Amino acid sequence: MASHIVENLKREIENFKADIKAEKVGKVVEVFDGIAKVSGLSEVKSQEMLKFEGGEAGVAFNLEEDTVGVIVLDDFSKINEGDTVTATGKILEVPVGSTLLGRAVNALGVAIDGASPIKTDMAYPIEKIAPGVITRLSVSEPVATGIKVIDATIPIGRGQRELIIGDRQTGKTAIAVDTILNQKGQDMICVYVSISQKDSKLRKIQARLEAGGAMEYTVIVSAGASEPAPLSYLVPYTGVAIAEYFMDQGKDVLIIYDDLSKHAIAYREISLLLRRPPGREAYPGDVFYLHSRLLERACRRSKDYGGGSITALPIIETQAGDISAYIPTNVISITDGQIFLETDLFYKGIRPAVNVGLSVSRVGGAAQIKAMKKVAGTLKLDLAQYRELEAFTQFGSDLDDATKKQLERGKRAVEVLKQTQYSPVSLENQVVVLYALTQGYMDDVAIEKIKEFEEKFAEYADRNAKKFLTQVRENKMWEESGEAELKKAIQDFKTSWPAQKK
Amino acid sequence: MAKISNQDIAKSIYRTLKDKTGSAYSLTLKNIVNFLARRRLFSQAPDILKKLEKIIDEENNAIRVKISSVKPLGTHLKHDLIKALERRYQAKEIIFTENIDEKLISGLKFEVGDEIIDLSIKNKIKKLAEHLQ
Repeated sequence: MASHIVENLKREIENFKADIKAEKVGKVVEVFDGIAKVSGLSEVKSQEMLKFEGGEAGVAFNLEEDTVGVIVLDDFSKINEGDTVTATGKILEVPVGSTLLGRAVNALGVAIDGASPIKTDMAYPIEKIAPGVITRLSVSEPVATGIKVIDATIPIGRGQRELIIGDRQTGKTAIAVDTILNQKGQDMICVYVSISQKDSKLRKIQARLEAGGAMEYTVIVSAGASEPAPLSYLVPYTGVAIAEYFMDQGKDVLIIYDDLSKHAIAYREISLLLRRPPGREAYPGDVFYLHSRLLERACRRSKDYGGGSITALPIIETQAGDISAYIPTNVISITDGQIFLETDLFYKGIRPAVNVGLSVSRVGGAAQIKAMKKVAGTLKLDLAQYRELEAFTQFGSDLDDATKKQLERGKRAVEVLKQTQYSPVSLENQVVVLYALTQGYMDDVAIEKIKEFEEKFAEYADRNAKKFLTQVRENKMWEESGEAELKKAIQDFKTSWPAQKK
Repeated sequence: MAKISNQDIAKSIYRTLKDKTGSAYSLTLKNIVNFLARRRLFSQAPDILKKLEKIIDEENNAIRVKISSVKPLGTHLKHDLIKALERRYQAKEIIFTENIDEKLISGLKFEVGDEIIDLSIKNKIKKLAEHLQ
């Protein structure tokens, strides 16, 4: 056995031909905080990958008259002044392949989950021009998040970019994780990009996804809070490069950027260290382009160009609910809508704490299934009227019957849209429950009993309104026969439900 | 106004000194020193000088080559190398710096500006190690 290895090695060495050519090299002039200034490298390209003497990787970022500003992607403390730097001639790329599924990798595509190294045959450049107009299709297929309030009032379509925005501790990541969990069996690949998050939080999310069986179709790409800023800057591009690989296989991909405010902060850090001029809130002038070029890569591609889609759910953390700060306004204007989460609602017990009034989906409506559109149309109206009238109830004045009815309906709608974490609801079940609500079947159920009613009724409908459920599942809309069956099921359930009898 | 770079200063010094001789040359030199003092640029002087050297080399079509080897080079080899380098870089003059570096094991290493041609055994072993990984 040993002689066999020696023989192989000998052959390998004998056949080896050192390809020595003139190399353009540079010398490290100074190195600090993940940045190196390098002289020489006269023919280096912007974004080209560089190798330091000790094997550390870097990316040419600033091309100046005499020096090149390089962001170091490894431990910069091992780089010394005077070290040689060689250009590789390649734009930074990351390994991609289906072996990434179920794994957690860093910004350079290296496994960080402690399992075996990942073997792939291909590499994708992390920076790519977004697909052009000709290659795109309009958004027409839904992404089922399993969250009632989102699927009903702020629907997301495949290929859409929907921002999740809110203060800290309002459940932004929870929505993202729930959405991933709900993609089981929906032919969707998920990429979760964690930017400057605590490793403990990432581990928790990974464990949750594993427990829900979601890691089979998910890739986690992470740059932790303890890693240098250049990696946090690169990681969303790594994520989208991996997503593009799966899209090129004709798959639908959901990518979550958690969160882009930290990404902007990492970019600000690098830019200031590279002495680029600061602008508003000390962010560099091209911080809009930073996010627009990333999110523009989300698309739904036409069949002629390979099909597939990338749906992006970027997350932005606001400070004290201020959505008019620099980065939130930028990302709001780039995306096709936003889900706005509020601290007040969260503490009122309305979870997910989605502010339905401020949240919009600019293209998702076209992707909503017909049945949902029908039930959700009146739901939105109910909620809007409820919000308007809610203020009046504070005065405690006498209200007429119609107003009282609207208020009661609104309260029930709010109650129905509440949902606990990690409990996604299938689209057809959502339709059933919302149908019962909007048709007024819940009006005589006490508010505190609504959740129980909903839960028990969904179970009952599963057994007794099969026709309705199949029609919605298969044809995306119910027929008269199905509707009659459902109506009967609701009435039967209401008479048999013990809480109702009281 | 844009910041004046060391390269700009070196270029201007070269242009003002280019056609001057005798007393005019000394006077200009004095003016340059005054200018550097007034602008507090003495700390930048080494860099400016380096750039000036580069500009003069470019004008004269000369290149500076640093050759590293394990042993001192023989006259014949040196002559041949100069010829070869003149051809490669189409230069009129080759300014030679010799460097003895035993770490190369054997072979030669040329450094021309930011270009390196490393024909040493050390480099070949490094390449082989990368290949075998």
